[in-house]
Amino acid sequence: MVAITVHRLTKRFGTATVLADINLRIEPGELFFLLGPSGCGKTTLLRHLAGFYTPDAGTIRFDDEDVTHLPAHQRGTGMMFQSYALWPHLSVAENVAFGLEERRCPKAEIATRVAEALAAVKLDGLGERRIQQLSGGQQQRVALARALVIRPKCLFLDEPLSNLDAKLRLDMRAEIRRICKEYGLTGIYVTHDQEEALSMADRLAVMEAGRLVQVGAPLEVYRNPANRMVAEFIGETNILSGTVQGAGGGMGCFEVDTAAGRLTARCHLAAWQPAPGDRVQVSIRPEALTLSDEPPALPNRFKGIVENVIYLGATAQYELRVSGSAGLKVTQMNPAALLQPSGAAVTASVGVDDVVLLPG
Amino acid sequence: MSRALSRTVFGVMLVFFALFFVLPIWGTLRMAFVDADGRFTLEFVLEVFRNVLYREGLVNSFVIAAWTTLGCLLAALPLAVVYVRFDYPGKALLNSLVLTPLILPPFVGALGVQAMLGQAGALNSLLMDAGLMSREQPVDWLGDGQMAGVIIMNVLHLYPIVYLNAAAALANLDPALEEAASNLGCPPWRRFWRITLPLTMPGIFAGSAIAFIWAFTELGVPLVFDFDRVTSVQIFNAIKDLSNNPFPYALVVVLLFFSTLFYGLSKLAFERSIATGGGRATTGRETVRPSAPRAFLCTAAFAALTGLALIPHLGVILLSFAQDWYATVLPDTLTLTHYREALGHELTLGSIANSLKYASLATLLDVVLGIGVAYVVVRTTLPGRQLLDAMAMLPLAVPGLVMAFGYLALSREGQPLHALMLGEDPLLLLVVAYAMRRLPYVVRSAAAGFQQVNPILEEAAQNLGASPERALWRITLPLVTPNLIAGALLAFSFAMLEVSDSMILAQQAAHFPITKAIYTLASSLGDGPALAAALGVWSMVFLTITMLGAGAVLGKRLGALFRT
Repeated sequence: MVAITVHRLTKRFGTATVLADINLRIEPGELFFLLGPSGCGKTTLLRHLAGFYTPDAGTIRFDDEDVTHLPAHQRGTGMMFQSYALWPHLSVAENVAFGLEERRCPKAEIATRVAEALAAVKLDGLGERRIQQLSGGQQQRVALARALVIRPKCLFLDEPLSNLDAKLRLDMRAEIRRICKEYGLTGIYVTHDQEEALSMADRLAVMEAGRLVQVGAPLEVYRNPANRMVAEFIGETNILSGTVQGAGGGMGCFEVDTAAGRLTARCHLAAWQPAPGDRVQVSIRPEALTLSDEPPALPNRFKGIVENVIYLGATAQYELRVSGSAGLKVTQMNPAALLQPSGAAVTASVGVDDVVLLPG
Repeated sequence: MSRALSRTVFGVMLVFFALFFVLPIWGTLRMAFVDADGRFTLEFVLEVFRNVLYREGLVNSFVIAAWTTLGCLLAALPLAVVYVRFDYPGKALLNSLVLTPLILPPFVGALGVQAMLGQAGALNSLLMDAGLMSREQPVDWLGDGQMAGVIIMNVLHLYPIVYLNAAAALANLDPALEEAASNLGCPPWRRFWRITLPLTMPGIFAGSAIAFIWAFTELGVPLVFDFDRVTSVQIFNAIKDLSNNPFPYALVVVLLFFSTLFYGLSKLAFERSIATGGGRATTGRETVRPSAPRAFLCTAAFAALTGLALIPHLGVILLSFAQDWYATVLPDTLTLTHYREALGHELTLGSIANSLKYASLATLLDVVLGIGVAYVVVRTTLPGRQLLDAMAMLPLAVPGLVMAFGYLALSREGQPLHALMLGEDPLLLLVVAYAMRRLPYVVRSAAAGFQQVNPILEEAAQNLGASPERALWRITLPLVTPNLIAGALLAFSFAMLEVSDSMILAQQAAHFPITKAIYTLASSLGDGPALAAALGVWSMVFLTITMLGAGAVLGKRLGALFRT
C-alpha cells in the first residue's frame, strides 16, 4: 500500500501541452479513477506514473520516494494494459511467472504463487494454454493475474474492460474492485466510461485538455459538478443560461432569470459567489425533475408540452418543450402510465437543491 | 470476376506453373535419380557427398552462406533497432540510403570490390602511401582463394534485405508487450532477449533465410572473383558436358534440397507458433530522442555502414572512368572513352537490345498473370485459391540457378521444352524464365492494391449494370494502376539484371543479355573490366531510376516487396 503524490506535473509533445501543472494525491489503498473524454491526458498521466514517460516538469512520489526519473522496470507497479499485452510466445503460466522470474524468486515459490494467482482470477488449470486459445474475458483475467502476482505497490488499469462485452464488463467491475480491496492495493484506473467510474471509484478525477477539472468522491462530483463540462460528462443534465438577480431562497441560494422563467439555484462553490447581473449556467439533472398536472409543491417550475417520450422499463425519458427554451429532459422513475406527446400542458418541478449554479 | 474467368485464370496459372516450374525441377530430379538403365538410384546424389571436389564446393557454399548471414545480421539488426527506437539527425535520408546496395548487381559490385580491396587495390595503396603497410608484402583482404571477397560482397549486397525485414518486425510489435515486461521489473537489455527478440524472430529469420539461400546459391559473385570451389560455379562449369554427366543434376538437386529445407524451416519454425496474438496495438510506438552525443552516434553508425556498402559502387564508378588503375589510391587519369566504347562495342549494344526485349516481354507476361492471380486470391472465394497464391510465391524459394539449370536441361534436343528454343534463339526460354522468377513481386504488389480498394466500389458499378469483368476493368484496375506500375518496374529492372538464367541459357554472343555481356567483358583482358564497369554504371543508373519510381508510387510499402 502506497500513497502517490503528483506535484506540478507538466508534459508537452512537440508544441502541444498534454499535461498542464497536475497536482494530485492518491491515498494508500484507494481505488482512484481518472476520467475524461478521449485525448484529455488521462492515459498520459497513468503512463507517467508507470514510468513510460518522463515529465518535462514536476515530480511523482510513491510515499516519500521520488520516482520521477526511476525507470519503469524499477517501480514495482502492476499494470493492466488496454490490449492486455499478453506475450503470444509464452503460455498462460509463463506470462504470469514472468515478473517473479525477473525478481529471481525460487522456482518452487514461483509455481505456487502462479497457481494461487490463476486461482484468484478463476483460471485454475489453464496455465498450459496458449494465449491465442483463450477468450477475451480469460485473457483479461490472465493480464490481471500477471499484474497481481508480483504483489505490486499499486495497480494501474488502463481501460481494462473496454474490449469486453457488456455482461462480462459488469462482472469484472465487481471482481476488480473486490481484488483491489482484498489485496489492499492502491489502484489507479483510467476510463472514459462514467458509469464504471461512479460504480467502482473511491474517488475520481475528471480531466479535460490536460488539466484536472475536479477531484472528489463519486457522489460529490455527480451532485456538485465544478463546471458545465463535468456536469455534462458525468451523467445527463439540462443546462440553462441565465442572469443572477440576487441572493435569495435560503443559505447560499440565488435567484436566476432564465428564458424558461425565474429559478432558485444552489451555489456550492466556495471559491465563487456570483454578483447580481452575472451571466451564469444552471444544471438540472433529468431525474431531479418531477412531472405533474396539478400545481406542485416544489419551488422551481417549468410549464411545457410533451414533445417526445422514450420508455425504458425502469424509467421513461421525456423531452419537454418549455416556453423560450430548448427541449428539457425529464426522467420519470418507475412509470405506471406514460404521457403521450399532445398539446396538453404539463408542469415539471424541481427542488432548490437540485438546481446547481455554475460559472457561465 | 465471374466464376468462369476465375477458373480460367486458375487453369492458365496451373499450366504455366506445371510447365515452367514443376517440369524443369522434375526433369532435373529425374536425371539425378535415374540411371542409364532407367532405374531409380541414389548413387549420383551420394557421389556428390563422396567426391572430394563436390564436397569441398558444398562446404564452401555453406561457409559462405553462414558467414554472409551472420554478417548481415550483425550489420542489420543493430541498425534496425536504432531505426525503430530512436530519433537522430538525418534519419529519413539514411534509412532510404540503406537500400542503395540493391541498385548494384552484385557481380558488378564484385568488380568494384576487387578494385578497392584487392592486393593492388585502392585501400592497400592508401595504406602503403601512409607507410602503414610494406610494399613488398601487401595484405590480401579478400582472403585465400577470394572467399572473404565473396562473403564481403554478399554481405554488402544482402544486409538491406535483413534490415528491411527486421525493422518491419520491430515496428509492428505492439509496444505494450514491451512495456508490460518493464512494468514487471525487466531491465531493457533483458527485455530485448526475453520479449522483443522472440516476438520479432519470424521477421528476422525470414530475412536471414533469404540472405542465406541467396548467398548459398549465388553464381555471379564467385564467378567474378574467380572462386570456382563452390557448388554454384561447379554446376555452371559442368554445363558443357551436360548430356552424359548426371553429376551436375545431382549437385542441383542437393542445392535445391538444402534451399528448400532452409526456406521451409523459416516458414514452419516461427510463423506457425507465433501468430500475431495479443490484439491490436493500443499505444503508438514513441521514438526516443537521445542526448546529442548518442544521437550523433546513431547517425554515425548508419552513415558508416552505408559508407561501407558504397565501396563496390565507388569502385565500379572509378573503374569506369579510369584510364588505367593499378596500385594507386585513385586512378591517375580519368576518361570517358569507356562509356563511348561501351556503347559502341558490338557485344554491348546487341546485349542491351536483347535484354530490353527479353525483360519487356517477361514483364508483360508477369503483369497479365499477376493481375489474374492476385485478383482471384484477394477477391474471390474460389476453392484452392491459397494453392494459387502458394504457386505464385514459390519461385521465391527456389534458387535461380536451379531453375535455370532445369530449363537448360529440358530445352535440349528431344526434351519437352525443346520447342521453346527457336533455332538457337533463347528468347522464349529467357522470357519464361525471367517471368517465372519475378512473378512473386508483381503478384504481391497487385494483391496489395486489391486489398486497398474496397469491393463496394465494384459492387456499385455492378449495381449500375456493369458485368463483373467490366467493373474490374473500369473501376478496380484504374485504382490499382500505381501498384501494378511499381510491381512491373521492379520485375522489369530485376529481369534486366538477372544473372543465373542469363548466364546459363544464352549460349551465343548474338543472344547475350546485358549481364552476360558484362561478365564476358569483365573476364576478358585489356580494358574489358573498365568497359564492364561502364556498363555496370549504366545499369546502376537504370536501377536507381526504377527503384525511385517504384518508391514514389509505393512509398513505405516498397520495402514490403523484399520480405517473405
